[in-house]
Amino acid sequence: MSKSVDLSQEGIEVKKSCCYFCHQNCGVLAYVKDGNVLAIEGDPSYPTNEGGLCCRGNIALKHLDHPARVNYPLKRVGKRGEGQWEQISWDQALDEIAAKLAAIRDEFGAEAVATAGGTSRTDDWARRRFMNLFGSPNCFHNSHLCWIPTFMVETAIYGWCPFDLDLGASRCLVLWGQNPGASSMPEMHHIRGLQAKGLKVIVIDPRFTETAAKADMWLPLRPGSDLALALAWVNVIINEGLYDAEFVTEYCEGFGELADHVEQFTPEWAAPLTWLTPEQIRESAYMYATSKPGNIQWGVAIDQLGKSAGAAMHARALLRALTGNLDCPGSDLLTGPSQDSITDEEMEANDRLPEEQKAKQIGADKFKLVTWPGYGKIAELAKKHWGKAPTAEWMCEAHPPSVFNAILTGEPYPVKALLVSATNPVNSYGQSKMTLEALRKIDFMVTCEYWMTPTAALSDYVLPIAGALERPTITNSYGCADFLLCSQRAIQPMYERRNDYNFWRDLGMRMGQEEMWPWETVEDAYHYRIEPLGYGTESYDEFVELYRFHFPEREFYKYKRIGFGTPSGKIELYSSTLKDLGYPPLPEYVGPAENEADDPELAKEFPLVLTTGNGFMPFHHSEHFQIKELRFLRHEPRVEINPATAAELGIAEDDWVWIETRRGRIKQKASLTQGVAPRVIVTERGWWFPERSMTEPELGGCLESNTNVLTSVADEHCDPMSGTWANRGLLCKVYKVNGADAKEGK
Amino acid sequence: MARYAMVFDTRRCIGCHSCTVACRTKNELPLDMIYNPVTTVGPAGVYPNLSMVHMPLICMHCENPPCVDACPTCASQRRDDGIVFVEDKKCVGCLACVMACPYGARVKNHETGAVQKCDFCKDRVDEGKLPHCVLTCHQKARVFGDLDDETSEVYKLVNGERTVRLLAELGTEPYAFYIYG
Repeated sequence: MSKSVDLSQEGIEVKKSCCYFCHQNCGVLAYVKDGNVLAIEGDPSYPTNEGGLCCRGNIALKHLDHPARVNYPLKRVGKRGEGQWEQISWDQALDEIAAKLAAIRDEFGAEAVATAGGTSRTDDWARRRFMNLFGSPNCFHNSHLCWIPTFMVETAIYGWCPFDLDLGASRCLVLWGQNPGASSMPEMHHIRGLQAKGLKVIVIDPRFTETAAKADMWLPLRPGSDLALALAWVNVIINEGLYDAEFVTEYCEGFGELADHVEQFTPEWAAPLTWLTPEQIRESAYMYATSKPGNIQWGVAIDQLGKSAGAAMHARALLRALTGNLDCPGSDLLTGPSQDSITDEEMEANDRLPEEQKAKQIGADKFKLVTWPGYGKIAELAKKHWGKAPTAEWMCEAHPPSVFNAILTGEPYPVKALLVSATNPVNSYGQSKMTLEALRKIDFMVTCEYWMTPTAALSDYVLPIAGALERPTITNSYGCADFLLCSQRAIQPMYERRNDYNFWRDLGMRMGQEEMWPWETVEDAYHYRIEPLGYGTESYDEFVELYRFHFPEREFYKYKRIGFGTPSGKIELYSSTLKDLGYPPLPEYVGPAENEADDPELAKEFPLVLTTGNGFMPFHHSEHFQIKELRFLRHEPRVEINPATAAELGIAEDDWVWIETRRGRIKQKASLTQGVAPRVIVTERGWWFPERSMTEPELGGCLESNTNVLTSVADEHCDPMSGTWANRGLLCKVYKVNGADAKEGK
Repeated sequence: MARYAMVFDTRRCIGCHSCTVACRTKNELPLDMIYNPVTTVGPAGVYPNLSMVHMPLICMHCENPPCVDACPTCASQRRDDGIVFVEDKKCVGCLACVMACPYGARVKNHETGAVQKCDFCKDRVDEGKLPHCVLTCHQKARVFGDLDDETSEVYKLVNGERTVRLLAELGTEPYAFYIYG
């Protein structure tokens, strides 16, 4: 029997809200009466999801008032992690937090306060604004693992990151380490539609994913060997004359150097490194280079390679330039930042952070690209070219593992406070045992959250944050797109939840930043941002109700008019920006973080190749394990293993197995599948168990099945340019869990 | 009179279970009940030569529904527009229909004691809306409509593509149609 809510009843308002459980922000219609959301549906008129919602989108009402939500400000009263809390008022919490931060700044300097963020679940520019005014350069996200290094490498080479795809006119789409079939549903739908009209799709992925199953060509490469494949593609495209000679001559610099450089990287050279055949490499390179126009969609896999990540992004970026697949119809577009509205970067007050404080950013001495040295340089070029810079919150961040290390060691200087916003670092940042120790050790921690996560459980204050239906949202690709999709809040936050914008603002007001926070509500701030669009609306809500979107007129071939935003004004195949920062101007080959060629001894003990970090339905990152309407689909963590390997190891379907690297071991349940190569192991990310005790030492079993226990953040495993750490292409071993150690998690 | 049907395009289904979650959440079903499971077949074959297909299942809304014939209390009924449904108040939970249905589409709700199943969201359909599972499907792998209407998408698919009906040999004449790759 269908229990449809009567949506035609008197007094119902339809609010144009959006989903907030991943960064697609699918459009949602919320049916609201008397301040309650009665029902939600996908918005059929929203351009991306067209009415569709994934599993997560469908549980919005379960999320909104889930019994496990944190609804009131909490102050720790017992020992850290003991689970003893006192409910206090927001005013008391903010007064006390402000006083503590001021004391830390007086004693240790502003840089002793760091902040950690999650994925687009927060008002990020507000956090950066607060931190800039406070004087600390130590903001960070998990952004290193997700697009930001790619953005910066590509911007160094072309002057902007071509993340906006003109798929409608494309003939070939390369999905490189991306699986929209499990992580971006609206995109998958459009791809399938275009495939029916002739679009060729190449999927590069060690797993036979939902998307690989629908592809025209699947390249199951060795996890972590993306750089070798990218270099071999460059080699084929140059050596076999598949490049766009006219475009390269006219608009690119450094072709000769590149051609010489890649001569050694033949498909025959790459074959044993990638576990592909030379024919597969050649055939796929031909498909991309000759089916024009074509696209290479960004995927997180390359951002997560660790030490070979930067070079792999660089090599992949060259492919677009060589084939002329940039800024022409059907290709990857260089939109530049929004010229029509106030960008995130313009809201961040980056000019208020003194130079001497920028210089103290943790990790900036080692990893220069996504910290002030590289960001400062690239932002200056972008301002010269576009008039505006990329968002600093994301593109210019302290190196997270180095911050956790600073908490533990006091090096390069003590970090005493961590403000956490919608993230659970124990499960989502690398090398979890070290991260957890840092969270246990930090002097002062405040977490803004929906749930009592393992991280929140270790905090001094936990503050309740407004969720999807309780906040307005501007979707614009982390503040770097030229378009805007705007959504309104369906209802005011329930209980005592607040937008994190108000957290940063109210904290700032207590710390002498009054004149810099003129906007009382998020809507006021958003209206200020969209006013220059010229729609003449009185409020942000009015804009959402009347217009909702802003898509500027598309100009192709902008480079013919204004060149590229690089020092030379051309695409720099041989990158002067990277060279000036002290990095190779051409992508040099390095092996995966751990591999059998560089370290045969290690490979003897750990003979299998591990990949981690891929998305899977119905969860997102380390979220949603509380929600039984989702959890029933996957109630336990699963590790994928080929049946032949499992047979050798005496492992049967559903056996609990240990997966071990040099950093530690975790257990997940064996899922035997032909979808991975015999030596490949694929773990699920994010897992913790909110149904367990959330106090020390159990903390929701946050290490037991957590794949980040296995990943590596050692400096030598990190990408020298961006500092991104190693989630893919690690060496591991797998063995059955004995009855005796079944409860252990270390 | 309309004749409602659903077409499943397995070329488009990616096995994301959005339909399952939307149906269960919006129909407020207990956790042990699913009207519309999605079964993944594969990866089949031997690495790296593989295939994978996802099979959404649902009540087939048969032209000749064995469940209706089996029901001793007339709780199971078929509307003139083809929608097969259970009238809760009349159901005594005897499970005769559960045994009669060759598609495993019926489950007893242990909270209400009645047998329940997909009714194509008939209340929504009566208001001119799509069933929850169809609206929520990002991939447009589920198409719902009136098979008597020659302009409808389902009419075009059923008459324009090669479609299959499950266990057609039983003569139940299901109104769920499957398109394979």
